[in-house]
Amino acid sequence: MSLPSRSVVPPAGPVRSFDFPPVHADVLDNGLRIRSVQVGRLPIVAAMLVLDAGEGLLDGSRAGTAVLTGDCLEGGTAKRTGVELAEALETIGAGLSIGTGWDSTTVSLSCMADRLDDAMGLLAEVILQPSFPDDEVERIRGQRLAAIHQRAMDPVGIATTASRRLTYREGVPYGRPLGGSVESVDPFSPDAAAGFVAARYRPKGSGLVVVGDVDAQQVLSLVDTHFGEWTGGTERRPEIEAEPRTRERGIVVVHRADALQSEIRIGHVGQARSTPQYFPLRVLNTVLGGAFTSRLNLNLREEHGFTYGVRSRFLVRRGAGPWCVSTAVSTDVTADAVREAVFEITALVAEGPTEEEVDAARDYLAGVFPLELETTAQIAARIAELLVYDLPDDYYADYRDRIRSVTLEEACEAARDCIRPDEMTVVVGGDAEEVQGPLDELGWGPVTVEAAL
Amino acid sequence: MLSIPIERFTLDNGLRVNLSHDATTPVVAINLWYGVGSRNERDGKTGFAHLFEHMMFQGSEHVPKNRHFELIERAGGSLNGSTWFDRTNYFETVPSHHLELALWLESDRMGWLLPAMTQERLDNQRDVVVNEKRQRYDNQPYGDWDEWIQAMVFPESHPYHHTVIGSMADLEAATLEDVVEFFQTYYVPNNAVLTVCGDFTRDEALDLIERHFGGIAPGGEIPAIPGDPNLDPIIGGTVRERVEAEVPLPRVLMAFRVPAYTDDDFCTVDVAESVLGTGRASRLYRSLVRERRVAKDVTSFVFPLTSGAGMLLAWATGFPDGDPDEIEAALAAEIEGLTSVTDQEIERAVALTETALVRQIEQVGHRADLLSMFDQLFDDPARLNSELERLRAVTSVEVSAFVERFLGPENRAVLTYVPTTEKTPTASVP
Repeated sequence: MSLPSRSVVPPAGPVRSFDFPPVHADVLDNGLRIRSVQVGRLPIVAAMLVLDAGEGLLDGSRAGTAVLTGDCLEGGTAKRTGVELAEALETIGAGLSIGTGWDSTTVSLSCMADRLDDAMGLLAEVILQPSFPDDEVERIRGQRLAAIHQRAMDPVGIATTASRRLTYREGVPYGRPLGGSVESVDPFSPDAAAGFVAARYRPKGSGLVVVGDVDAQQVLSLVDTHFGEWTGGTERRPEIEAEPRTRERGIVVVHRADALQSEIRIGHVGQARSTPQYFPLRVLNTVLGGAFTSRLNLNLREEHGFTYGVRSRFLVRRGAGPWCVSTAVSTDVTADAVREAVFEITALVAEGPTEEEVDAARDYLAGVFPLELETTAQIAARIAELLVYDLPDDYYADYRDRIRSVTLEEACEAARDCIRPDEMTVVVGGDAEEVQGPLDELGWGPVTVEAAL
Repeated sequence: MLSIPIERFTLDNGLRVNLSHDATTPVVAINLWYGVGSRNERDGKTGFAHLFEHMMFQGSEHVPKNRHFELIERAGGSLNGSTWFDRTNYFETVPSHHLELALWLESDRMGWLLPAMTQERLDNQRDVVVNEKRQRYDNQPYGDWDEWIQAMVFPESHPYHHTVIGSMADLEAATLEDVVEFFQTYYVPNNAVLTVCGDFTRDEALDLIERHFGGIAPGGEIPAIPGDPNLDPIIGGTVRERVEAEVPLPRVLMAFRVPAYTDDDFCTVDVAESVLGTGRASRLYRSLVRERRVAKDVTSFVFPLTSGAGMLLAWATGFPDGDPDEIEAALAAEIEGLTSVTDQEIERAVALTETALVRQIEQVGHRADLLSMFDQLFDDPARLNSELERLRAVTSVEVSAFVERFLGPENRAVLTYVPTTEKTPTASVP
């Protein structure tokens, strides 16, 4: 038998089917939604509690309250001091991880399956009986203020903060930093934390996802035992009107003297999670800047060597999150990099992606789907997403089919509808003395310079 | 006790192969460890191992530039590579029916890389690496910490004295001839471990591996590590540097030489580090952050290095008006105070490590990487299965003795960052 030549790309073998694992759904009498998936490969369990308690709920004067309240959960409970709580969790190998976003607060932990009962007990204690002692709240507020100070000198933080602020009209939550400002964090108090918990940490509106080496009956019984006494619901959320700051294009340089690199952000207001164009947009964004072989990366990195990497993202939220292209480039090629990025974006909108590109992007997105569902925590996070965005339980059943059915025309339409080159704001965090002239010479749009705060 | 299945083979050309089956998800990971890293770099060639890693993604005889990425992404896979002191690894995770594609791509650049190497590609990737260094090191507050710390902990003659990213002046001097020589010396089957982990059929995988890698000629003997890997177990004093730089907050870093990763005592180092700095009940968080409030955050970790010594490191970031001397004193006190470690603390450290390890091996890509590592460094991939037992066997007496011997002022490097109001930093890395 002669072997095939090395020059021939090996053919794929027979495809093994992949189905999203079956999700068991329940609801407690108090309204808490339960979702569980049994995955028995390793003796581990991931639990994730999603609370309808995101930063997007808050007006500017209280910005940071959701983040701070989440952070303050480690301060202790009615039964335990903060130190005792940490010791109890870590003795069973579980660390509590608290993530606050625009749309929710998630409190999650992983532990070995035989310690799940204890872990759920501690999780419930943290949520139902947080104590917010004065000195712990004071400490965490101080840490947050120091983090805000730190971010104000971080090149990535400076550029991203400016980009969000310049994307949204004043007053839109998405235009401010997630964790708030010195002014909004300064008055935070134990009462503010307790008030936020009373209003937003409620079973009706929340969901608990448990994935791992445990069956649905055990999950239901454990959740009922530990969360059965929890009561109440959350008030309706205000809609977020994600109006843009401007519809004119322009370049804003946030000056950092002697910066070695420029942090570049290009974008405008993007889409909400509920957009009917969600799947075409994912395909389109993959072509533009969602993968290594995307147009932007092949140009800016592999052809020109301007950067270590560049990407494009549609940050979909309950309201319209930002669409943002981000990269860091050497100071001396800043204007060249902006020119090339704008060129790629503009060309993609004007001409649309090619059939070949759409095909490749569909294959990529459909193919990586199971790769992103290997771990209990990954599966839990995917299911939590359904709870946060009110998506149906069987959403993932045909997820790959929906990716694969995106047409060239739909991708072109998504480009035209969701990317508007004439409305882009380019933010450059870098040395204005070096980059302003070349950016002016691009002639793409007016260049203004701001001082870094 | 973990029971990850492992089958080991060695091809005639010396390539070591590990197969680890798991069909839970229809994905398969391919992982290659080459026994070459920054420790193999000679004077004037620092950073080359990492630059070479970039060149490995620039195509090979049968794979045009960018095609490797295109094919793997098209297949719905993920891929990358990374360079470290003691090794360079390359890895793909793909839907299982694309196993052969990944093996073909990896074998092509192991056996047929050089025809694709051009000056243009070298220049392009040099630019990319220069930007990588600027992005990760030079343009980041505190970004140069490891350049300082390594130079303080390891003597100039030692292969860990310089960083993986290396010197940009050395990279400027790199030539295509260097690429050729490096490839022919180190990127040979007898200096590599290949692990396949996930959903595959044993006989088919073996057949594919033999077909794609079997024809690659073995190389010569791997040259000895340049410089002098031997060194005293401890630094022999307290070395200190103070850096005034454009950083937002004061930060004090403390580093120590510790036994090498391949040393029997290393699990004691691991447990000591966990007690010190892993989790909210750890000593550093409890004391410096929660109680004394001299730090806004604390971190500790170990560099599991194998040539002569490893390194344990902790840092604390202060508040805007914080006093670095006070931070340093608090850090030193907690580290030295670890001699009083309790059994409960060790129990917590082991429990946290256990959860972390099991979470890590949930992904076939991580599992494959660990198997390659244990094979390359210990000649024993099955060591993964007994890792937790080794940790559980560590006693408070052992931790205490380790702390007594290694974590005191006779073996300490202290690097202090203080915010400057001046525009330009006043110090530069030696």
